[in-house]
Order: sequence, then C-alpha cells, then structure tokens
Amino acid sequence: MNRLAYLLRRIVLSIPVVWLGVTATFLIIRVGPLNPAAAIVGPVNSAQAQERLDQIEEQLGLNDPIHVQYVEYIVDLVTFNLGQSWVLYPGQDTVALLVQFGPRTIWLGFWAVLIPIFIGIPLGIYSGLNVNTKRDYAASITGIVWRAMPNFWLAVILLALLSRTETLFFGTGWESFLVETQLIGAPDLSNLWTIEGFTIATKQILPAAFVLGSASMGNELRLSRTAVLEIITEDYIDTARAVGVSRYRLIGKHVLRNAMIPLIPIITSEAYLLVGGSVLVEVVFGINGIGTLFFDAMTSGDLPLAGSLMFVFILLTVSINIAQDLLYTLIDPRIGYAEHR
Amino acid sequence: MTETNPTPHTAKQSGSSMVDRLPVTPTQGWVLVGVSLLLLEIGAIAQFLAGVLPVGTGAIQLAEQIPVLLSRETIPNRGTHVPGSGWQGTFLGLSPARAWGLRVGLTYLYGAVVLYWLWRGYLLYRSRYRTADWTPFDDVVRRFRHHRWGQFGLVVVLAFLILAMFAPVLAPTGLEQNAIDPYSHELEYYDETTEQVETITIGTANQDSTSQGTEERNIGLMSYDDYDRFHPFGTLPEGQDLFTQVALGARVSLFIGLVAISISAVIAITLALVSAYYGGVIDLATVLVSDATQSLPQLLVVILLSVVFAQTWIAGLYSGAALLALIFAFTGWPSLWRAIRGPALQVSERTWVDAADSYGLAPRTTMRRHILPYIIGYLLVYASMSLGGIIIAAAGLSFLGLGISPPTPEWGRLVNVGQPLLTTVSWHIAVMPGVLIVIVVTGFNALGDGVRDAIDSETDLGDEKEASAAASGAGG
Repeated sequence: MNRLAYLLRRIVLSIPVVWLGVTATFLIIRVGPLNPAAAIVGPVNSAQAQERLDQIEEQLGLNDPIHVQYVEYIVDLVTFNLGQSWVLYPGQDTVALLVQFGPRTIWLGFWAVLIPIFIGIPLGIYSGLNVNTKRDYAASITGIVWRAMPNFWLAVILLALLSRTETLFFGTGWESFLVETQLIGAPDLSNLWTIEGFTIATKQILPAAFVLGSASMGNELRLSRTAVLEIITEDYIDTARAVGVSRYRLIGKHVLRNAMIPLIPIITSEAYLLVGGSVLVEVVFGINGIGTLFFDAMTSGDLPLAGSLMFVFILLTVSINIAQDLLYTLIDPRIGYAEHR
Repeated sequence: MTETNPTPHTAKQSGSSMVDRLPVTPTQGWVLVGVSLLLLEIGAIAQFLAGVLPVGTGAIQLAEQIPVLLSRETIPNRGTHVPGSGWQGTFLGLSPARAWGLRVGLTYLYGAVVLYWLWRGYLLYRSRYRTADWTPFDDVVRRFRHHRWGQFGLVVVLAFLILAMFAPVLAPTGLEQNAIDPYSHELEYYDETTEQVETITIGTANQDSTSQGTEERNIGLMSYDDYDRFHPFGTLPEGQDLFTQVALGARVSLFIGLVAISISAVIAITLALVSAYYGGVIDLATVLVSDATQSLPQLLVVILLSVVFAQTWIAGLYSGAALLALIFAFTGWPSLWRAIRGPALQVSERTWVDAADSYGLAPRTTMRRHILPYIIGYLLVYASMSLGGIIIAAAGLSFLGLGISPPTPEWGRLVNVGQPLLTTVSWHIAVMPGVLIVIVVTGFNALGDGVRDAIDSETDLGDEKEASAAASGAGG
C-alpha cells in the first residue's frame, strides 16, 4: 500500500514537470521565430501558396490570441489528440504514425539495453575481480574509449567494417551470415513469432543496437567494476572466505548478487539516453523509427508533428524516471519513500 | 588534509644559489620571460585585435607588417621542387613535409613554454607573495601531480587547446585560399613536360588532388599531390586539404564547448547558491524547472531549436556556432546544477555559514565567500566531462546536416563527407576527424576524473553515475 502511495505521489509530482516541458515546446513552436504554417507551405511565391498559407494558419488556429492557442494546445495533448502530419505524410494521424513507426524503435531500444548488459557488466565484473592486472587495464581502457566514441561515427565505421567482412563470418559476409539480411534498412517485425522471422529481425537490428548501446556499455563496465571492488572489500566476504566458501561460490553468491544492487537502476537511466541517441543511429542505419520520423519532420518543416512527438518523448522520459525511482525502492528498501529527489 | 606542502620552501632553498648569481630577482626574471614570449607573437595579437576592433584598414595593414614567429609566412611549407636545385620557396629549402613538421613542433613548443611559464608564475606566487603557508588548493595540486590518468587528460586537452588556438598556423594552407575561394588564388609548381615553373589557380590544382576512393584519385595520409603540396591528413573528395579543415574545426568545437559550458556554469552556480542558501520554495521551483528541462531529450530539443532559429540573425554568427552554443547552454545547465546541488546543500548547513549570517554579512557575500569555494571544484569536474558530451553532440548535429553551416569546417560534417568513401582507399576523410573526437573526449573525461580524485579522493557511486551521463552527452 505504501508503495502504491509512493507511486501516486511520484505521478502527481511529475505533472508539473510534464506541463513545463510541454509549455516550453509550445513556446518554441508557436512563439518562436519560425511560423509553423510558413514552414509547412515553404516559400510563398504565388497567390495559391498565399491562400494555402492562410488556410493552414486558420486550421492550426494560429490567428487566435496566444492564450487561446495555448489552452487548445494543452487540451489537445491531455486528451491525446495529437493532430496530424502536414508535410511528411500529409493528412496522416500522428497516433497512427506512432503505431506504425514505434515498434521498430522499441525493438531497437530493447536490444540496445540488452546488449550492454550482456557485454558491459560481465566485462566490468571480470575487471573488478582481476583488479590492477593487465586484463583489467585492457578492459577498463576499452570501456573508457568506447564511452568517448560518438555514436554516429561508430555507426559509420561499423557499417563500413560489416560491409567488408566477406570471409569473417564462417566463410560468408555479415549480410549472408545465418540468414540473408540487408545491412541498412528497417527490420521486418511482422513475423516476429516465428523462429526465422525473429532471427532476421534480430540480426537486422543488432549492429544499430550495438552502436546505440555503446555508451551504456562503457558506463556499465565502469560501474560494475567499481561495484565489485566495493563489495569485495566488505567484511562479510572475508568472513565467507575464512569459513571456507569456495571461490566460485563466493563470487557467484556473495559478490555478484550484492554488486547487482546499484547496477539495475542504472540500466533504466541508460534507457533515457537511448531516446535522444536513436535519432542519429536510426538515420545512419536507415531504420524508419520514431527517431527518423522526428528528424524528417524537423527537416521538412512539419512542426506540428514534431511538437506532438516531443510530447510523447517527454512522457517517455518522465515515465522512465518514475520506473527508475520505483526500482530503487524495490531493490533497496532502505531508500525512503519520503525524501527522494 | 592538514599536512603542509614542503616543496615551495625546499625549491626556494636549492634554487637560491643559482638565482643569486643572476642580476634579476625571480619575479623580474619571470616577467622578462613573459615579455619575450609575448614579443614573439605580438604581431599575431596585433593582427587579431586589428581584425576584431574597429580601427580601420591602416591599422590592419600596420599590424600585418609586424613579423610573427609562428606563421605560414615565417616558416613557409609551400614550395616547388625543381629537379637539380631542390625545394624552392620553403623554409631553409626543407621539404614541405619537414617545414610543416617544424612549424607544428615549434608551435607546440611555444605553447608548452607558455604553459610552463604560467606554472612557474603560480609557484612563484605561492612561495613569495601568498601570505598563507598552506591552502587546501595546494593539496589538490599535490594529489593531481600523482594522478597519471588525469595528467594524460590534461596533456590531451592542452594539445587540443593549442590546436584550436593556433589552427591557422598549424594548417598547411589557408582555408580562404584552399577551400572558400580557390580560383582567386594561385600557386607555382614545376611542370615536368615544359620543364618550367608554371602558375595555376588553386581551384584547378584541387581538381587534380581529389580523394575519390580509387587508387588514381586519392591523396592519403602524409602524402604530396601533383603540385608539390603536402597533405598531412590527405585531401577531401573535392581536393581541399583535410588537416586545414580539421584544425579549424577544432576551433569551432572548442568555441561551442567553452561558450556553452561557461553559460551553463554561471546558471548552475547561481541557481545552486540561491537554492541551497534559501531552500524551500526556491529550491523546489529550481528542481521543477530543471526536471522539466531534462525531460526534453537534449538532442531532440537541440534539433528543434536549431531548425526553428535557423532563419534568425543569431544563426548567422560564426556559421551557427553561436546559436548551437546557446542552445547547449540552456539545455545543459540542469545536469551541472544537479552535480553541484548536493555539495552546495551540505555546505550551506555548516556552522560557518550560520556564523557569517549572524555576523551580518549580506547573503550575496556569504554565498560568494563561504559556499562558492566549496562547490567550484565539483563544477570543474562535471564541466570537463560535459564538454566532451557537447563536442560529440555538436559533431552529431553537423553530421546530420544541421548545426554548423559551410564554409566553416566541422568534424561531424567531415565524417559525413567521408562516409561514402569509408570502404575505399580514401578512408582517411571519415576516420581522422572521428579519431580526433575520441581522443579529445577521452582527454576531457580523464581530466575530469583526475580533478575529481584530486579534489576528493573518496568518491561514491552516485557521483559516477551523474558523471557517466554527462560524458555520454545527449546520445550523439
């Protein structure tokens, strides 16, 4: 019950945050120097274009006083009436676009969170257990350099490398390794429930997810190394060792389990970075997900669509934050419900 | 923490016998060295000031008369190779590669000497003029002197600073003549068919030095083109020199990073001081605003703002770098503020702050004198780490075709230009700027690590988490 009350409290507290974020978006789009209607129409050089401009201004309600626009905007968002696309997919409903593009981004994000967990954390634990050895330094330096690599550059390099691996994958190139896939392009998610469909969709997304998760991988490596180092100096580890617990049992049961505690919430906070990073990675890998949708909307002047997408992103980040705080309380009951920033 | 640092005193003692024999005091010597260092580059400073200040063309011409030690004019690397009589026009008849290398070496030497001069100045101040025998800062310096990783970061960051500051000197050629307006500039070369020195416009020469991805059409790393021009990083697909663009791109990156981080730091410090000192509603309001700012994914807001403001006058400043810097500043302050909020809250509850209050000090003075010194170190740590993130994000935007517009070079755009040629022999175009980004960002992260360990050797996991997020930037 207490936990439920905490959840409700967090949700109530996040309302002003969402409101401020949405208001900022509104100000940028409606009060900013770029007129949304003019961006949609493009250069006005004929009477026809002028007419269309007036018409769109009317439809978007740009001629109303700003406070009326604001109230309408907020009411629309609260009722999840996200409007439509004007330039990119004229007349398409934003929600329909989200349903269409969203799954690919979610699929990308899912693997981008999963890959670092299975590479970064084991490497970090390995480093922590072999602290100050050459292997530790090698792993740590890899993590540090990994973290400093720009996603877009890593994506470009990885694409180039994968396109030149004719013999590396058991005599075949990456594209025809296991199943035939294109290097660039969106995964086909329609046959996800068959083994072949799943393999194809996974293989298609792996390079992009690897790049998107690279920053997290470096972070998780570092943090799990620190966590293991902190646990391994605790008294109860010494006690267990003195009692005669075997090395594997010691590491498995006492070190790893406790080292995991601070790590789990960090994984959710990584999810936060993925939202922004997905734009670049999707553009480079040609995955038409929400990131690409936002980027294309921005570059083609589809401001109403971009604004609605921004609202979705705000909701997403705020819910990730709430989920993360909830996880904290689940994992470590010592973290109070009351005093938590 | 309380042990005093004995080095200044012992240094004074051991060095005194040598210093006594010189006719100047250490301070005079230090000033003299400073003046002579300044004199070497006075022409460059005068030219810079004449270009920035409204002083008229006469002064600019006058400034250009002053010889500058470190310039393409004093140590030219452009020349023609005439068979039989060697290199003509280069410095001391060296090959262009060596002349260029010499100039780069001298520039970095000059930078290193200036930095060492500053460091001696600090030591001199510490041993002769500072009234206090010991301050906590001495301990920070002492710990940093044992932090190899942090020193590595410092060296990388300083090398990057020198690259950005002396970009026109380090570049083998000028951006204006090489890329912006190549058909108005000419060069001389030795033509093997006519066996004479011929003149050609740089634009035409560039067409023969392109890097298009085939063996015949590629000028790779450390190589010459048909016109005896040396290209340390090779050429771009259109034949311009890559190193020139990379050096000037460092300038843009540094400008964006420094301006953005300075503005964010001022906002973050002000808010941290005010919210920690007054607490209550003000603190809550700051938390709300910062949470709201962070709830907008940074890279997306930056894209949104750079598109919305693209047509305004501010986007014209420095090819959009000023706008980008402002955008990063106003979206990046919450992470800095979060990093120093904890320390600021802790300090504001200490007894000396209460004492200062009851003594009747104005709140501003209390904040500045009694809280600020304790949070400035933390700020430096996160500022250093965020700088790497900003550089990555700015490059990412330019890679997407937003952000910095041509002709100003930017590392991200160079990667974009080179991407189609990455699997060919012209791989250098996309690889070199990327490698530099990785090195520079690693350097800023290492420096941040070093400063953090020097300020406070005990760090908890929470700190690392914040720092990790900062270093990864906006996901660029």
